[in-house]
This record gives sequence, structure tokens and C-alpha cells, in this order.
Amino acid sequence: MSQDATYASTFDLGLAPPAVAAPGGGLVSPEAEARAYWRMRWRIASAATTQTLTEGRLRVALIAVLSAVLWTILFLVFYDGFRFLRNTIPGDLHDETVRIVFGVFFVTMTLMLTFSSGIILYSSLFRARDVAFLLTLPGRAERVFLHKFQEAIVLSSWAFVLLGSPMLLAYGLVARAPAYYYLVLVPFLVAFTYLPGAIGAVACLLIVRHLPSRRVLLLGSLVAGVLAVMAAVGWSIGGSFHQDLLTPNWFQEILDRLKFTEHRMLPSWWLSSGLLEAAQGVWSESVLFLALMVSNALFFRQVGIWTASAAYRAAYDGVYGRRTSRKRTHVALLDRVVGGATRLLPAQMRLLIVKDLRLFRRDPVQWSQFLIFFGLLLLYFLNIRRFSYDTYYKGWVNMVSFLNVSVVGLLLSTFTTRFIFPMISLESRRFWILGLLPLPRERILWSKFAFAVGGSIVPCSLLILLSDAMLRVTPSILASHQLTCVILCFGLSGIAVGLGAKMPSLREDSPSKIAAGFGGTLNLVFSTLYIIAVVLLTAMPIHFYFGTQSYGGLLSERPHLGEWLQVWLVAGTLGSILLGLIATIVPLRMGFRAFRKIEF
Amino acid sequence: MIEFDHVTRKFGRKVAVSGLDLKIPSGELFAFLGPNGAGKTTSIRMLVGLLRPTEGAIRVCGHDTVADSRAAAHVLGYVPDEAFLYDKLSGREFLQFVAEMRGLDDKQSAAAVDRQIDNFGLAAFVDELCETYSHGMSQRLVFASALLHDPAVLVVDEPMVGLDPRSVRMAKDLLRERASTGTTVFMSTHTLSVAEEIADRIGIIDRGRLIFLGTQDQLQKELALQNTSLEQLFLQLTAEGDETPRGSGPPVANHGVTRS
Repeated sequence: MSQDATYASTFDLGLAPPAVAAPGGGLVSPEAEARAYWRMRWRIASAATTQTLTEGRLRVALIAVLSAVLWTILFLVFYDGFRFLRNTIPGDLHDETVRIVFGVFFVTMTLMLTFSSGIILYSSLFRARDVAFLLTLPGRAERVFLHKFQEAIVLSSWAFVLLGSPMLLAYGLVARAPAYYYLVLVPFLVAFTYLPGAIGAVACLLIVRHLPSRRVLLLGSLVAGVLAVMAAVGWSIGGSFHQDLLTPNWFQEILDRLKFTEHRMLPSWWLSSGLLEAAQGVWSESVLFLALMVSNALFFRQVGIWTASAAYRAAYDGVYGRRTSRKRTHVALLDRVVGGATRLLPAQMRLLIVKDLRLFRRDPVQWSQFLIFFGLLLLYFLNIRRFSYDTYYKGWVNMVSFLNVSVVGLLLSTFTTRFIFPMISLESRRFWILGLLPLPRERILWSKFAFAVGGSIVPCSLLILLSDAMLRVTPSILASHQLTCVILCFGLSGIAVGLGAKMPSLREDSPSKIAAGFGGTLNLVFSTLYIIAVVLLTAMPIHFYFGTQSYGGLLSERPHLGEWLQVWLVAGTLGSILLGLIATIVPLRMGFRAFRKIEF
Repeated sequence: MIEFDHVTRKFGRKVAVSGLDLKIPSGELFAFLGPNGAGKTTSIRMLVGLLRPTEGAIRVCGHDTVADSRAAAHVLGYVPDEAFLYDKLSGREFLQFVAEMRGLDDKQSAAAVDRQIDNFGLAAFVDELCETYSHGMSQRLVFASALLHDPAVLVVDEPMVGLDPRSVRMAKDLLRERASTGTTVFMSTHTLSVAEEIADRIGIIDRGRLIFLGTQDQLQKELALQNTSLEQLFLQLTAEGDETPRGSGPPVANHGVTRS
């Protein structure tokens, strides 16, 4: 039947008389409800998978290869690490060390999973578009909660699986664990992810239900509190040692300071104990811990269901029952400062930069993540002050200082991928304004580039300066780091703006989904490779230079080595500048060309 | 069938809906009019169970929308102003999900889905993913999903927005047809001509208060008496410049027509 014909047929609606008294079937049973949700989820997953496999093979292949490479690298690192522990640390101390390694890892994961599932659930239970539809169906509110909870568990635990699975497999191989160990890995990990996930979910529901108007403040305070506790713990663990560095007593002191991870009430301790017992073939003890974990996981899941049954609809009403305050905006000092600092740029470009800055700072979802990452890095840099040139081997300190530069670069690459790359795609929604303005399209891209460089260069440069001050590096190294920082900021901004214009997602309006797409993934991969190349070009010659200085004999044996290293140093620096120019200019040119042709 | 019993809804200190008393019997097509921000959407969101009244109660076929929310939702079909569809489901799969959630067994579900595909002319695209649908196609699918279980009450929020003339005609015919077969239809709209053309009764809400309520006959008499049009009456009733804070104070106007 043609569409017109079918359309025409609707004039004679021929509707069946509605059964006013008893419409449809009865109320849906919990089992039928669960079946309907699972069927719907399965259908969505299959459609998405089929579509991705037919339309995005390159993307899937790239992600699969990158994940496999990362997994293999992690596996090899863990395998070597556990072998090192087995070969160098004797008997009981070895077991205690492994227990503490597991403890620290799983405690960290518990915290991460609790927070991430709580945050994901807030967004999916109260802000997702499908929830308003699901809540108008005659299903139970707790079913909607369970549906979203299971999604949140999967979303929040993939990083845990990616990091945890190579570690646990490597340990099993090094410890020559029986097959039983590998069999119980999956139920142990699933039960473990449920525990913090359910706690985060219950906390999210209760906070939104009882403090709807203060939830942002409360969540912010909670995050700040946890960061403060982590900082305090980090400070106490890394605080002044009574023993000399890298001696057995120093090692024992570290283990003593990390003993808190072995508290008997922590699920992380149940998990590490259960797995270690399984690896040693003590299956009865292992089953006991598995039963403890599964029963607790089921209990907390049930608490989540009860809480949702009692509080979800009311919490939903509370979120939308708040009056949205009408915020009066004004020209902030920051806008004036940026306006002044960009005075030399064309007026239209200046306006575009200030507009982007306003959108960024008025969206807490955007700047809060940025702030948390930079805050954590700040805490770390403040904690490394004892590890200085005055005390330790200069090669080590130099390596740490360049690793810090790399970390800042990697953080910057997540920033450019998450915030700068999606900017062009997001402009497509507003292109009826920008497209009709009397300005060349290139100017829009230049403004994004200037915004990215200006926004990244100040915090990155200050962080690297702080790191260098704490490590007390020499002025020449400090200058080299600052130069590397500038090269990184320009190159990463060029890659993000250029690729953003070359590969926009014009139908998508969520920045996180744009960043997670193929273009965003490619941007992250290119950015990472670029950071590694730039840092290696400058760090390697300096590292070897310090090496030869520490072993003076080497220079006397090979008198030309010093000169060669100086040449390498200069060549490396020039090479990194050249690479920076290429990474800035080539993607931008590609982006300009694509942006001129693009039809919004 | 629908009963608003002195319903008040506050957002903080702002009163979005104030003391709304309204009964809509079976087989009536009720048009709910009002300017932007008057309280129409809040009333509808309370009626379908997404929001809860601060005071008072809403009953659908005798079921309280808060205390007995599942039973209320069971007898209700809802077409929102911004419909949600799962992008990665086909139209048929979406209808099947809704039918299952409405408690229809496999046989009933298949029959109901086929009937609505036929009624709304969905056959040409119902097996394609929803992400490929135009606004008109989506709206027809949402209407079909709302009617799968032959609801006793149909709530429709701005059904004509973004539809082409043919689809508008279809929607109007559909709503009239439903009302004539005994369904209570609660329609919110900005299109005064649509309300005038198809509604049995019209209510105008402004600043949270119901300021006009009358049947078509009463409305026509009122318009003839004042020698005016519905548009002019609407503008007159909802005129700006009233100093009374939103949602508080005495009723703005009583035009001699039946008031709730």
C-alpha cells in the first residue's frame, strides 16, 4: 500500500469502540514487565550493533585494536610486576604485599564505582528523555529504576573491567592458580560492581528525594569531602618516612600505612581475600567470601528497589517541582579580562570567543569536570615536593618531571576532545545565526582555535610550573617544559578544531556523545600519539644527558658523546617545534577546507 | 472520568495551578486553552502522574493519580507535546513494547498493533528505525501507541504543532471519533480555531486559575452577546497588566458562563 493510500485510509478511522470500563489487559505483572524491558533493551542493542557494524566498521576496528593494545600493555605490566614481587619479596611479606596491592586497587574502585553510578543514575533517572515516557506507562517505578540501574552498572564498570581483568589474570598466571580461580573471577567481579553501584544508587535517590533543591550543593560538598579525605590519606601515606628510601624498612612502613585497605567491613577486602584464597586453591574459604559478596550484592540491590518503590516518583516530582530561578546575567570580570586580552583580534572573533567562554562557564557540567581533573593534578603536584633534585638521583627526578608534563598533556587532550572537538558540531544547531552573519566562515574556526589555545595554555603552564617548582628542576629544564607545554597546547587545539570541522556530528546535540563518536575517538588517538612524540623528542636527550653526567667515566671514555647529546637536544627541541607546527597547521587547513563546503 | 478536585500545584513559592476544580465526563472532548506559562502543561503532567498536586487530588476513572498511579495510568492514553521514541527501535517494536507494558497478551498485542498500523497508515515505515521518521510520522506513531489499549481517557498536549494540513485534519477527526465512542478526551492547545471546531467544552486557564469554562453552545451565546470572536475573548480574558500576583488573589473574571 502506498503511503498516500494508507494516509487516505485514515480518514475512515474505523476505530474499535473503546472498552471504557476495562481497557486493554490487566495490570502488567512484574515478570511480564521485566520481559518487556529486556526485549526492548535487546532490540535496541541489536539494532545499534548491526548499524555500527555496517556503517562504522573502521571505528569499531579502531576501538577494538586500541582496547586490545591497552589491555595487553596492562597485562604485561601487571604480569611483570607480580613476577617481580614473587622473585624479590620473601614468603609472608609477599602475600601481604599482594593483599595490599589488591586492597588499594579495589578500595579505589569502590569509591569510583559508588560516585560514578550515583552520578550516572541522577542523569538517567531524572534527566533522560525516556523516563517521562516510561513513568506514564502503568509499570512499576522500581522497574524503571532497575532498568536504569543495570545500565549504570555497565556504564560505570567498564573501566574497572578493563583495568581489573588484566591484573587478576596476570596474578592468576604468576601464582599458578587452579582453574577454579578463573571460574570464580566473573561472579566475584559482578557481585563487587553491584555493591558500590547499589550504594551510589540509593544515595542518589535519597539525596534527590529529600534535598531536591540543595542536591547540587550537597553532591558538590560530598565530592569535595571525598577529595579532601583522599588528599589527607595521600598526604599521610606519602608523608615523611622514618626510614631511608627503597630499604626493606621503608617498604614495611609503606605497607603499614596502607593497612586501612584491609578493614574487614570493606567489600574490597572480601573480594581480595576471596580471590587470593581461590588462587591458593583454598576453595572452601573462597566460596565463603563469594557467598558473602553475592548475598550483600543482592541485599543492596533489594534496598535499591525498596528505596525506588518508596521514593522515585516523589523524587522525580521534586526535581521538576522546583521553581527554576530566572538568572539575571551580567558582564563578568572574566569576560572583560578576556575581551581586553583579545583586543588585537578582529571584533567578530573577539565576540565569538567571549560567547564561547560564557556558554562554558555557565554550564556546570562542562567546567566541573575540568575543575575536578585539574584539582586532582594540583593535589598530586603539591604532594611530590619531597622528591626533589636535592635528595635523589637527577635522572629519576627528570623522568618524573617529564611524566608530569605528559600527564598534563593527556589531561589537556581529554579537555580538547570533550569540549573543543564538539564545538563545531554544536554550532550547526545555531548555524542559522552564525551562517547568516557577514563574516567569513574561517573566522568562526579561528575563534574556536584561539579559545582553545587561550583556555588551555594558562592552566597547563601554571600546573607544569608548580610541578617544576616542587621538584626544584633547573631553569633550563623549566624553560624546556614551558616550551613543550606551548607546543602541546597549540598542537592539541589545532587537532581538535581541525578534526571537529572535518568530522562534525550534525545531528547530535549532546557534547559527550559527539566526543564518544568516531571523530572524537580519532581525535583522542591522534592527540595521545602527538603527546607521546613531543614529550619523547624533548625528554629523551635530556634524560641521557643526565645519565652521562652521573656516570662521569662514560664521558671520559667517549669524549664526543657530550657534543652528540647536545646536538640531539637541539635537534629534538627543533623537531618538537616542527611537529607542533605540523599538528597545528595541517588539521586546521583540512578543517577550513571542509568547513567552507559544509552544508548545515 | 477526569476529576480535578481543588488542585493546587506550587513550584517553590510560585503557584502554577491554583484551586482547579474540573470534572470531565465520558465521551466529552475538552479543550484546555491558555497563554504560555498559564499552567496547562503542569495540569497535564499532574493528570498523567508525572507531577503530584501540592493540594487536592486528581482522579481518572475513579483512580487517584498519586495513591493509585498505576491503575490511573492503565486507563489513560497520553500524547505529549514533545513525544519520545526510542531511536533504535522500529515503529512496530515500539508499539509492541507499549502493548506489553499495557498488559496485553501476545495475541491481543499483535491484533492491537496491526489495527493501529492500519488506522494510522503506518505500514509504509513501521518497520524502519524511529530515528528516520519525520515529525508527522512520529506524531502518528505516538497517537497509535496512546490508543493501543483503547483507553477510557485520552490526554493530548498540543496535538497540531508541526503537522501538515492533512495530518491536522486526521488528528481532528480522530479526536472527535474517540469522543463520540465514549472516550474522554482532554486536549491542550494554542490553536483556538481547533478548539472552537471540535471541542464539546472549553476551559481557559491563566496564571494558574481557570477563568473561563463553557460548552460550545454557551460559548457561542457568549460570543454573540459580546459580538466578538473566540480570539478576541481569549485575548481579553488573558490580557496583561493585571497586578495580581500569579496564582493568588481572587478570580480574574467571571463572564457569566459556567464556572468550575
